[in-house]
Amino acid sequence: MAMHTRRATLTPKVLSYSGLAVVLLIVLIPYGYIALTAFKPAEEIFDVRWLPRVWSLDAWRYAIEFEQFHVYIYNSMIAGLGAAVLALCVAVPGAYVFGRKQFRGKDVMFYIIVMALLFPFVLLVVPFTILWVKIGLYDTMPGLWLAYQVFIIPFAIWILRAYFAELPRFLEECAMVYGCTAFKAFWRVMLPLAKPIITSLMFLAFLVGWNDFLFSNMLTTGQGPRTASVIIYVSAVGGERVEWDVLMVMTLMAGIPPVLLYILAQGQFLKTFAVRSY
Amino acid sequence: MAENIGIRVHNLRKTFQRGRVQACRNVNLQLAEGALMVLLGPSGCGKTTTLRCIAGLEQPDNDDAIWVKGRNITRLQPKDRNLAFVFQDTALFPHLSIRRNISFGLDMHKTYGRSERRRRVNEVAELLHVEDLLERKPHEVSGGQAQRVALGRAIVMEPDAFLLDEPLANLDAALRVEMRTEIKRIQKHLGITTIFVTHDQEEALSLGDVIAVMRDGEVQQVGTSHEIYHYPVNFFVATFIGSPPLNCLPCHVQTDNGALNLASQAFRLPLEAAGGTASLRDHGEIMLGIRPESIAIAPERPDTVAARVSLIEPLGSRTIVILEAEGVELRALVQGETSVREGEAVHLRLDLGRAFFFDNAGNRL
Ligand SMILES: Nc1ncnc2c1ncn2[C@@H]1O[C@H](COP(=O)(O)OP(=O)(O)OP(=O)(O)O)[C@@H](O)[C@H]1O
Ligand SMILES: [Mg+2]
Repeated sequence: MAMHTRRATLTPKVLSYSGLAVVLLIVLIPYGYIALTAFKPAEEIFDVRWLPRVWSLDAWRYAIEFEQFHVYIYNSMIAGLGAAVLALCVAVPGAYVFGRKQFRGKDVMFYIIVMALLFPFVLLVVPFTILWVKIGLYDTMPGLWLAYQVFIIPFAIWILRAYFAELPRFLEECAMVYGCTAFKAFWRVMLPLAKPIITSLMFLAFLVGWNDFLFSNMLTTGQGPRTASVIIYVSAVGGERVEWDVLMVMTLMAGIPPVLLYILAQGQFLKTFAVRSY
Repeated sequence: MAENIGIRVHNLRKTFQRGRVQACRNVNLQLAEGALMVLLGPSGCGKTTTLRCIAGLEQPDNDDAIWVKGRNITRLQPKDRNLAFVFQDTALFPHLSIRRNISFGLDMHKTYGRSERRRRVNEVAELLHVEDLLERKPHEVSGGQAQRVALGRAIVMEPDAFLLDEPLANLDAALRVEMRTEIKRIQKHLGITTIFVTHDQEEALSLGDVIAVMRDGEVQQVGTSHEIYHYPVNFFVATFIGSPPLNCLPCHVQTDNGALNLASQAFRLPLEAAGGTASLRDHGEIMLGIRPESIAIAPERPDTVAARVSLIEPLGSRTIVILEAEGVELRALVQGETSVREGEAVHLRLDLGRAFFFDNAGNRL
């Protein structure tokens, strides 16, 4: 009997862990290979083996000193952070109004905004470029921030609206009875309650800016705020010869900041406030 | 008026959906400073709406509806009214500690310095026996404790009035009775004008200095527990109050040789006993309402009614006897236990002197 119950609880555990392990390996093996290749000297690149025979930092030196890749990483960082902050400033109040206030044409406006998500962004690249040149946003950082919002803001409003709509009305009213203006009630009560989901959305918005290639490629030049993803692309397809080891270094460098950011923000993602009524 | 008026609700009208829903038709209430009024009524009669209008969470249709301490506050923002509202669902802020929850109102107004606010919170926490919970989060306390904290948040503000919207509805029965006593004690202790909404008549009768009975967006009667119970103004109030409920029998008034008789399916009784009989003379069909305690099991006499005991419900200190007389069901409430058995034939004495008579429109005659 005892054996039986232990078996019964053990088997699914073993199964789920081995399943997870397989998934983890699928994800980790390419990354591991990238990481190790970044330390191979140029002549070893095409040797199919895991560990480099000679550990070399040549590719790193080249990526930073010659390609100035850290500058582009910095650009990506600014692009991502700016996109996230701008999205936040617009989407949070917007979602709040859509979620909790009544006004004429609300539903229609909301559907139009969400519909923007269905529009293929590729089609926007050319008009955007023309427009950006005309109004002086071409090849500027704010130009990039603004362009990303086409995708970020509808998405963020869509997610946040549902969240705000579900927060109990009496919490806000209670704040107002106990001395808050409508805005202060939003600021002191609703916003803190939405903090976990806002943090998650900011992270996603950052990733959009960080990973974007389409707009970053079209709206910037080599002299302007070019981002890392564009440089990686150019190194992969641009020259007469692909420097694989350098490419691996770049990939690695571009991959680390989001991970660090995720680890920093992780506590927030997991935190949810139990909004209980008795 | 000799006494100071704490809260006055004047011809309050509140409609929703462009007038299609009339939540408050014409509500008039007046309560003295320091008094405790209970708003009682069935679900959907407009109690919450009335209270929300007073608190400023809804805008009344008329401009002169809400007065506090002689000041018209109808169009003031909720935050400027200095009224404390306690919601049915404990609206504790989940992201703040119990201490910060209690001091929320003080923190917003910043009338007092930090240490003074702290001292006041501690004082209120002690009054409500939640001093050990101050550093916890709302999800770490029980429902009863959470409701105490919500009360504390109201008390600490020293508001002009408390507005309590069924604050005990979500608590279990024992806790409800306990908290009820406590609220009354604290209210008397602090002397703060209070409106307490409930649809539980027992709660209302035991709690209120004054009870206002509402129905369909209108106040039916305002009075003490005693007045409401013994002198209801109409059929609705009489049937809404009382447990076990009022016995209602359609009757008609007959005149035989100058003597008035009350006749129904089950009996025919002389009306001399009932006070103010003359006014009944002009009415044919009337509704007789008689409280279960005004029906007694008695030896047979010309003015008793024959009935059969169909069920006995012992309540410990009292017993409800359910009787059937010619197809009419009656409830009698007797003190202690009863010697009658189910199925037994008995005679009933109806104390018509303490009965109510209503006309077709439901007004008391
Ligand atoms: N925001 C609103 N929009 C439309 N109708 C409403 C609104 N609020 C209340 N009503 C209606 O007004 C009437 C009175 O509602 P109210 O909440 O005041 O009743 P109540 O006496 O508090 O009832 P309960 O005992 O169930 O809490 C109801 O018919 C209700 O449907
Ligand atoms: Mg209500």
